[in-house]
Amino acid sequence: MTYRTASIIAYIAFFAVVLALPLVLNSFWTNRVAIYLVYSICAIGISMSWGYAGILSLGQGLFFGMGAYMLAMSLTLAVPENNPVPQLMLLNMEPNAVRDLCCVTTGSFLWIPFRSVAVGMIAGIVVPCILAAAIGYVMFKRRTTGVYVSIITLAFAVIGQLLIINNQPLTGGFNGLADLALLEIGGFEFDPYGPSAYYAVALTLIAVILLARYMLTGRIGQVLKAIREDEARARYLGYDVENYKLFIFCVSAGVAGLAGMLFTVTSEFATPSLMATSLSISMVIWAATGGRASLLGACIGALIVNFVGSLASESATFQPVWPIILGLLFVVVVLFMPNGIAGIFKAFIDRPGKAERLGGAKLSGKTERPDKADLLVKSELSAREA
Amino acid sequence: MNAVHRPSQAGAVSTAPILRTQNLTVRFDEFPAVRDVDLSIADGELRVIIGANGAGKSTLLDLLCGKTLPSEGEIWLRDRNITGIGEAAIARSGVGRKFQTPTVFKDMTVLENLQVASNRRVRVFENLFERVKGRPSDKEVAVAERTGLLGSMKRKASELSHGQLQWLELAMVLSQEPKIILLDEPAAGMTAAETDKTAELLLDLAGGHTVLVIEHDMAFVRRICRTITVMHQGAVLAEGTAEEIERNPAVIEAYLGSATLSHA
Repeated sequence: MTYRTASIIAYIAFFAVVLALPLVLNSFWTNRVAIYLVYSICAIGISMSWGYAGILSLGQGLFFGMGAYMLAMSLTLAVPENNPVPQLMLLNMEPNAVRDLCCVTTGSFLWIPFRSVAVGMIAGIVVPCILAAAIGYVMFKRRTTGVYVSIITLAFAVIGQLLIINNQPLTGGFNGLADLALLEIGGFEFDPYGPSAYYAVALTLIAVILLARYMLTGRIGQVLKAIREDEARARYLGYDVENYKLFIFCVSAGVAGLAGMLFTVTSEFATPSLMATSLSISMVIWAATGGRASLLGACIGALIVNFVGSLASESATFQPVWPIILGLLFVVVVLFMPNGIAGIFKAFIDRPGKAERLGGAKLSGKTERPDKADLLVKSELSAREA
Repeated sequence: MNAVHRPSQAGAVSTAPILRTQNLTVRFDEFPAVRDVDLSIADGELRVIIGANGAGKSTLLDLLCGKTLPSEGEIWLRDRNITGIGEAAIARSGVGRKFQTPTVFKDMTVLENLQVASNRRVRVFENLFERVKGRPSDKEVAVAERTGLLGSMKRKASELSHGQLQWLELAMVLSQEPKIILLDEPAAGMTAAETDKTAELLLDLAGGHTVLVIEHDMAFVRRICRTITVMHQGAVLAEGTAEEIERNPAVIEAYLGSATLSHA
């Protein structure tokens, strides 16, 4: 079996398991796994930018959090008691302020468009994208690379979190936005503990994986990989490296924003902790564990780490040391299995001693085609000449 | 754009030069690494630049491909001023650069390296929905055959020998279909047999392509070259055939005491 065939089987098996899980899970676990799948979408975003383009963002939580807040604002306003003005603003307003969204607190007019849930849903993707475009433009045009990108993105996430916390009258501050309405689209309500929200997450995850895979196995993925390998060479071949980086950074932010919205749907809250450094770094650990250059690997990494983490949090012994375990896991992965679980899978499929040693099939990892035969003969000949 | 500033001196030669520099100068901390270089390369020419270490040869190529910005002077490719337009734009306008230490995409196969190089639709959105073929195009087969890489198409670049890496980078530059190819010591670190093959390859390229080569090895230079430009302390010292250069008193003086020409 070639690696390509094996990975297609792995994808199909994963999709099948994800789609079948609610049949066997109770409502508590349906909700838990739905949240893990949300984290999987985050890990895919990391895999796209870090795994494929070498851009290690440690501020992915900023985009995740923005996505979550955008939808949470709409779902706050969807609660009847929060009209015309959300409770959190009434608690924080000046005594004689006008009780209207336009001016009840400083900046409260920013909430006005979010009376429409559709706006919230679109903003959940678009706002992180725009934010990433602005940050990315500054970074990449100045040719910031490597660890500096990580530091800058981390700094922006910290700034974002502080802005949310410090503007309590506008954002709910440290408590964030809770007591949200359920997401309702066209009269259909997404129950976070039922299969509806679960399938919204699962189907989004599958769509994101398929789209990302389609894109990254195409020309753009090849160019991104080339940029990751040698940025200067890509430039001397005529590629505007900055634009490619900016593109994948924005797409990755959009994916994180989408995941953030689904987090709001499944968790019914948005807090500044979503932008915490620890969560951003956790996302990187999920992707690294699963295999950063593999979309499915990153996905599975997020599921496994979060599942084990949740088991650990129920044990009095493991709960306090879980962050340490997570840190050690990252060190072990980076040192000993740089391609994570996906790398082990690939090594197993490609292991030596397997029957397929003929021709280019093994090297290419692709199925043999008849028209390649004459090329192989040709290459044999030219190899002998050399 | 800058067409207004175009100098009129080019018309003097019957075949207009494909690449031309004017007063090209770059200073690093006030030290002039390249000084007032006026270079003129004709279409289809194979030109070799020689000079001792630190003479400014590699810096000159860096200026031509946009890696370094000139402090003064202009670079013209045909009738386009390419000074300061950025590496990628210079590459797209037709300048191909091969470095002394081969820079290729190590984790990709030879075929993938060639595919990235030969893809001339370089913008993000042009590539968004484009598929990548699993087998080489005729063009990629041709360029691989020419550089002796046809048998290694499916191998990762990291598995290639040093000589093969040099050829791969050359093959990538050829795939760009550049108007002019800049080669920085193409035979560096090669075995005698590989050097022979590289010389043949360069002679094969000359005529069909315009090539500018930096080289240390005078035996190699005599083999491949028609016109030599000698650089010394950042400036052009002399220009001519191998015999003329070796008889030139200024050149001899510049090399006296340090090294003989054959080791320059």
